[in-house]
Amino acid sequence: MEMLVLSHVEKHFGEKQVLKDVTFSVPEHSVFGFAGQNGAGKTTAMKMVLGLLPAGGGEIFVNGMQVRYGNTPTNRFVGYLPDVPEFYSYMTPAEYLCFCGEIAGMPAKEIKNRCEELLCLVGLEKEHHRIKGFSRGMKQRLGVAQALFSRPKLIICDEPTSALDPAGRKELLDVLVSSKEQATVLFSTHILSDVERICDEIAVLHEGKIVLQGALEEVRKERKAAATELETERAEDAGKLLSAFPFLKAQGRGRLLLEETERLPEILHFLADADMPMLRIERREATLEDLYMEVVGK
Amino acid sequence: MKAFLKKEWMEWSRTGRLLILLLVFALFGIMNPALAKFTPWLMETMSDSLSDTGLVVTKTTVDAMDSWIQFYKNIPMALTVFVLICSGGFTLEYEKGTLIPVVTKGLPRRKIVASKALFLFGFWTVFYFLCAGITYGYNAYFWDNRVAENLIFAMACTWLFGVWVIALLVFFSVAAKNSPQVLLGTGGAATGVYLLGMFPKLAPVLPAKLMEGLPLLQGGTGREDYYASMAAAGGLSILCMVLAMVCFDWKRL
Ligand SMILES: Nc1ncnc2c1ncn2[C@@H]1O[C@H](COP(=O)(O)OP(=O)(O)O)[C@@H](O)[C@H]1O
Ligand SMILES: [Mg+2]
Repeated sequence: MEMLVLSHVEKHFGEKQVLKDVTFSVPEHSVFGFAGQNGAGKTTAMKMVLGLLPAGGGEIFVNGMQVRYGNTPTNRFVGYLPDVPEFYSYMTPAEYLCFCGEIAGMPAKEIKNRCEELLCLVGLEKEHHRIKGFSRGMKQRLGVAQALFSRPKLIICDEPTSALDPAGRKELLDVLVSSKEQATVLFSTHILSDVERICDEIAVLHEGKIVLQGALEEVRKERKAAATELETERAEDAGKLLSAFPFLKAQGRGRLLLEETERLPEILHFLADADMPMLRIERREATLEDLYMEVVGK
Repeated sequence: MKAFLKKEWMEWSRTGRLLILLLVFALFGIMNPALAKFTPWLMETMSDSLSDTGLVVTKTTVDAMDSWIQFYKNIPMALTVFVLICSGGFTLEYEKGTLIPVVTKGLPRRKIVASKALFLFGFWTVFYFLCAGITYGYNAYFWDNRVAENLIFAMACTWLFGVWVIALLVFFSVAAKNSPQVLLGTGGAATGVYLLGMFPKLAPVLPAKLMEGLPLLQGGTGREDYYASMAAAGGLSILCMVLAMVCFDWKRL
């Protein structure tokens, strides 16, 4: 079943069209990566899913129910981590989480257990001070805890890793993967290695349009795959190779890139005949970054 | 809703709002009789120097009524302080985005308005009667409150005026984006109603009339003169609250 469906969603801010006919869906129990540059419209799209912004057109369904602007009943299924989370500065993290649990209508005993569990999970169990002095990374951790608190069916995180240290980032990604069993995770990011690490599916938003979408494996396969990198021991040999095979691309000192991989045997013959010492001949898989660069046209 | 009420309580007590208002209203409560008490004493100490200049000061006597006159002078000020301090109650949350986790957890928006309004009305009531109670107590101690007629009715009128102003505050808190706008709206609306009071025909039905409690205390007017403005204040307050509830559903947080 689809946990979240966006169909033909549009959004204008005044004259400016931020989302153009955005359509994608997130299957249940998956980790969905929502990638795009800064200003691509990721936050805008997520806020519309939460009924925080009125849609300019199209429909959004969460767990089969349509989202309305304002007081939307679909929010019961969702846990949300805003891009810049802000909490009541006069509460302690534990108090804040209890407050969240009470709002979600959880029984008191479960609130208490869940509170301890999640504070440990995000590494804030020793913070008994009020939220007032928290750094942005700490707020982000607390934000994750509050998003997961009531065991929502859909977890929406807006750039959850942006303010975290490398260790914290890895921990957070692990947390998101582990919540996949009970929930569905949608997270936005501009860091593609995060997507590669944990996502099952991906959609890339560029200039308000979805330019790339699908299961991560398939997206990778579909695109022009590999290239081969050659590195000669002597820099001048690279020049010789280049004049013999003009379709090679120079990549800097002694390095060449072969995109038409089917022509590799020809080159190997040439190398053997010329007795040219090589440092390295390596097949390089297309990374998500290459795909991304390709689709955003840079 | 209970959770949000609890959060409001934390906000009131931990941000110091509660303490400041408590002090302000207690201070006003003490000031009313104190000012009345010290007026003759001031006059006397000054009378020597005044008589040198040719002014003759007749001996003045004060009673509870002078204290109530001070009360009516000071209560608009206390109400203004209350509105000033509470003007950020909603808007700070919009500016910081602290309501976003709350509504995205599925708390109905109306419960947010209801909780906040409940605290505003509740604390206005508590502090107002604290202030009035302190004045009443001192008056009873120094003089005699029996000179004031219709006391409870007059007190209730003034309280109702405050309720109306706070209903305006709630409405503008929902409609506005930041606290200066809230103050401008609330102040503007209240002033507008005062100005309308310049038309003699309108004056008896405007909430502003509720602040003219002295004639009541002095027995100059009857209670029935106030019924129309009480109804107006009550009706307008309810209207403000209904509008606030409806608008908040559409508010961009
Ligand atoms: N409230 C708003 N009013 C006008 N423009 C906005 C508003 N919010 C966002 N935008 C514009 O929409 C675009 C997308 O923003 P956003 O969704 O925050 O991007 P992302 O989260 O992908 O970095 C930006 O160009 C931004 O300037
Ligand atoms: Mg963003």
